[in-house]
Amino acid sequence: MSTSSAETDLSSSGKPANRGTLFLPSERPDHGGYIKALYASCRHALTTLARRRRLALAALIAFLPVLAPLALAFFSPSEYAESGNQVFVRLAEDIHVDVFTPLLALFFAGMLIAEDIEMRTMTYILTRPMPRSAWVLGRFLAYMIVATLILLVSALLTFAASSLHAKLSLVSQADLKLFAHYCGVMILGLLAYGSFSVFLGAFTKRPIIYGVILFYGWQHLATLVPGLVDFFTIKKYTTALLPLMATQRHNPVIETVLGNIQREVFYVGMPKAFAALIIITVVSLLLTVYATYKREYASDRAAGG
Amino acid sequence: MRPLIEAKALSKWFGEVVAINNLELSLDSPITGLLGPNGAGKSTFIKLALGLYAPSKGEIRVLGEAPRNNHRIMRRISYCPETDNFFENSTGFEFIYWLNRYWGMEHKQAVKSADAACDITRMTERMHDPIESYSKGMRQRIKIAQALSGCPELLFLDEPMNGLDPKGREEMYQLIQMLADNGMSVVISSHILYEIERITDTVVLIYRGSLLAQGRVRDIRDLIDQHPQAIRVRSPKAREIAQRFVGEEHISSVEVEDDTFLLRTHDPNRTYESLNLMACEPGDLIEGIQCSDDNLQAVFDYLTR
Repeated sequence: MSTSSAETDLSSSGKPANRGTLFLPSERPDHGGYIKALYASCRHALTTLARRRRLALAALIAFLPVLAPLALAFFSPSEYAESGNQVFVRLAEDIHVDVFTPLLALFFAGMLIAEDIEMRTMTYILTRPMPRSAWVLGRFLAYMIVATLILLVSALLTFAASSLHAKLSLVSQADLKLFAHYCGVMILGLLAYGSFSVFLGAFTKRPIIYGVILFYGWQHLATLVPGLVDFFTIKKYTTALLPLMATQRHNPVIETVLGNIQREVFYVGMPKAFAALIIITVVSLLLTVYATYKREYASDRAAGG
Repeated sequence: MRPLIEAKALSKWFGEVVAINNLELSLDSPITGLLGPNGAGKSTFIKLALGLYAPSKGEIRVLGEAPRNNHRIMRRISYCPETDNFFENSTGFEFIYWLNRYWGMEHKQAVKSADAACDITRMTERMHDPIESYSKGMRQRIKIAQALSGCPELLFLDEPMNGLDPKGREEMYQLIQMLADNGMSVVISSHILYEIERITDTVVLIYRGSLLAQGRVRDIRDLIDQHPQAIRVRSPKAREIAQRFVGEEHISSVEVEDDTFLLRTHDPNRTYESLNLMACEPGDLIEGIQCSDDNLQAVFDYLTR
């Protein structure tokens, strides 16, 4: 920025300081590209997330499963020695994939945009000449970095704890492959659940409430209802990606004649499940970007006023 | 010359609430005061001009282009909102810095611009303190600082004097004047008339979403010359003198309050002539004459009555 000849330090006379610049249109800085905007959005979101108590709370909750194999190893070492694999698989599927993945998505992604709408800081952001997609994707990237880090570290520690007295091993290729497989499912789950949560945040005033109802209510209900309704869940596709087929699992909750027929007739293989999760992610993010262009977030109604 | 802002049959409604109603407007003054009581539609008009809202009907053009989702225009305009909202857990400097990054500035440029913006608004000493610790006036300055840092051609200030102490207001008046003197156009909204009168004599009066009047204060005054002008007279015999005007052809009403009376006249010259004659009578019948209409408040009161 250049120094204008009109600049003077008027502070002593009670006038504006004006020591550096007059912010004249001729002094306007250059405008960065798309990647820089995305990077800025991601950095800002990471900075903001790092300062939240929510992060520490989420991390604390996410590391609770590590205690399960440790407790089992301590209290019943002989029995546990035979079932280390089973314990890890159980924890990875029932806790990490089914509970923590949607929970972290709601915790972080659900508020990525909703918070700015609620706090009315959207007006600042939407008056900046930045591609909205860069802003949305930057924030989503920040969520993915944080949530993936928490979830995978938790899964790794759970895996390590499970291997203490079990057949699992941190150096066995097969076991590491199993661990990597679950990590992949978790990342895909974070993508799908996270993008859908961002979408909820962009379109609704109460994304967390809707998210809880959909992820923990509707999804479980849909698996019990015969027919094709479970196709409208994310859980169907994350489950289909798990190393063992859903049909081979012993799960008394959903083991009904209709349920079994449903799972066998309307079977979704891994490639289709993978594609479905990617499609959910892409469509949700596209709809979110669309919302940032079309919706009027500056209104009191949008902010819940 | 192309107007800064041009509205043609512009309407905006939210459900059944009409915020802007068929507004025809053209602004091209360096400083324009947007006047109207709370809820008149000033902020809605500004948000339409910023592209934060899409018109329900009609069109608005800013610097010759439709502003909605228009990055070219966003680079040239800036906004200081009325509401007091900031990014959570941020300092004043960080707030401006991240908005600069969203604007598209590089890190160094964003830092430099944030520094300069804090300097010109006298926030340098406190810029690294959390915004939560700021007074209302300091928050106002930070909001103005973020608006300046993009070097806009057209600056929208929505109720910028809110929360500023008299010294702060004086500095703000001078800052706005200085920016305008150096080529920046400013649209400033307020519901406090003397604030606008202090900065500019070019005003737009909005009431219930419609344009009430536009132009110089003096021109607006001329427009309403057909309306009775109020003259306040101070006299020890107020009731007695006031009685002399009752029934006069050019007097529309007379109101007596203690030692003053208020005349409303269609012919100010003739009324002043009569008062002058009375002032010359023995006994100091007239102690003071004040044309209570000769300010913006009176103009506004007339037009909204």
